[in-house]
Amino acid sequence: MAEAPVIETTHLRKAYDGVEALRGLTFAVPAGSICGFLGRNGAGKTTTIKVLLGMARRTGGTARVFGLAADDPHDSVRIRQRTGFVSEDKDLYDVMTVEQIIRFTAGFYPRWRKDLASQYLRTFELPAERHVRELSRGMRTRLALLLAFSRGAELLVLDEPTSGLDPAATEEVLQAVVSHVATEGVTVFLSSHHLPDIDQVADHIVIIDRGRAVVTGGLEDLRDAYRRIQLVFDAEAPQPTLRAPGIVATERRGRVLTVLCRSGLEQVLAELRALDAASVEVMPVTLKEIFLESVNGEN
Amino acid sequence: MVWYKSWLDTRWRFLIPLGILVVNIWGLILEYPHVAGVLRTVQVQPDALTVSGALGRAILESVAAERTYRGYIWYQWFRNNLSQLGTLFAILLGSGSLLSGSTGTGTMFTLSLPASRTSWLAARAAVGLGESIALAVIPSVAIVVLSPLVGERYAMTDAVVQALCLFVVGAAFFSLAFLLSTMFNDTWRPMLIAGGIAIVVSVCESQFALNGPFRVMSAATYFAAGSLPWIGLLLSATAAAALLYGAARNVARHDF
Repeated sequence: MAEAPVIETTHLRKAYDGVEALRGLTFAVPAGSICGFLGRNGAGKTTTIKVLLGMARRTGGTARVFGLAADDPHDSVRIRQRTGFVSEDKDLYDVMTVEQIIRFTAGFYPRWRKDLASQYLRTFELPAERHVRELSRGMRTRLALLLAFSRGAELLVLDEPTSGLDPAATEEVLQAVVSHVATEGVTVFLSSHHLPDIDQVADHIVIIDRGRAVVTGGLEDLRDAYRRIQLVFDAEAPQPTLRAPGIVATERRGRVLTVLCRSGLEQVLAELRALDAASVEVMPVTLKEIFLESVNGEN
Repeated sequence: MVWYKSWLDTRWRFLIPLGILVVNIWGLILEYPHVAGVLRTVQVQPDALTVSGALGRAILESVAAERTYRGYIWYQWFRNNLSQLGTLFAILLGSGSLLSGSTGTGTMFTLSLPASRTSWLAARAAVGLGESIALAVIPSVAIVVLSPLVGERYAMTDAVVQALCLFVVGAAFFSLAFLLSTMFNDTWRPMLIAGGIAIVVSVCESQFALNGPFRVMSAATYFAAGSLPWIGLLLSATAAAALLYGAARNVARHDF
């Protein structure tokens, strides 16, 4: 029997003053995966995280974490006992020192990993005596990660953890996430609009646009399923009416016709070969292409 | 840890006012011999007073009360300084909710910790009210300790009873600011609105000689006749409880 998903939403809706931020969002995050939660700015990523962690109330549908109802106050506390969170702003307590905020956070978690906290304090080169307000953005991010990692959590929810970081710091953060997952076996829900980050670490993808999931699945499965087919003609490419169900998008430019399909490759190819092109080439697609096509297709 | 965070959030808003109040009462006591000397030479006949209305009443009440050390302390400290500053400090302590969204307060971090909103709010309210009671009682008890410096005595019972009256009414202003802090994301609006309401109530009470919250706060009936203003205290406590309940409801429903 398949393991129950760690996060599961069904037709999740959230409106702020009549404006819908989530419009029937349905997705699941498998246990043990690193799930990349992709979407443009304002797509509803942070709202989803807030609903999952009990910071905002859903207006419809369901949201469950570890099988617990995210909007039930008691269940929400139990969810947060098992979850480490890094917010987009890395908004920590400015008045505390690094050492104080570590001790403060440890007080909430019976399973606090003192060994990990000491280890990350050294690895991230965080100055224990310095006030949080005096830390650079990169250091704040590292501190936020330390606090999330050391909770002994089964789930890490990371909201744009690399935003505002330089490439070196971004790489350091991603490596820290990957190595923590490798050693601790946690599930990661990583929200970002920075595709290379997700491409580098994720094994499962949820692409959200305008409050709806437009693509969900394993990253390798998606890469296997999506194909770009390029046809080159001797003269101007025709404007075909393609009927194969797996076609996501077509683009005609001069003598070249490009078709993106997400399933039924053989059926698509059979239909395209009938166009009598000079050459037909099937190419794999990148996550960026899948993302852009999904988002643009929705719009 | 929830309590520790509440203490960190409010400690300077408690310690600085406490210092101000202790210095204030110290000065007031040391000034007494001079005031007593002046008052011995002053005779005010109500009929001869050309100033009428609230000001006239205040002058008569002041001169009448301050003829004794007990009256001087009650009028200057419990009726004036502590009532005004106590209200101000209660509002200050009640403002700036734990869950306000300003930068550096770590609202999202707080909400990600495994503690319910109710427990954060209850700890914040309890710490704030605890600090309010300390602000009322500690300087008042200091009167008992410092009075021998000017050759006078002040009863501990009087000091504690009057301080507690001040605390109960102050708790209503604290709770008002607390409720407003769950409606606005900044510290200033709750403070200004609650302060504005306190000023309006004070002016109305003074202008129309009403038996309002500030009269209850100063424990005027206890000073004059030894009886506590039970109805006023009960109403204040009820108002405080209702306002705190409203704050809890607001926070429970709030989307961050």
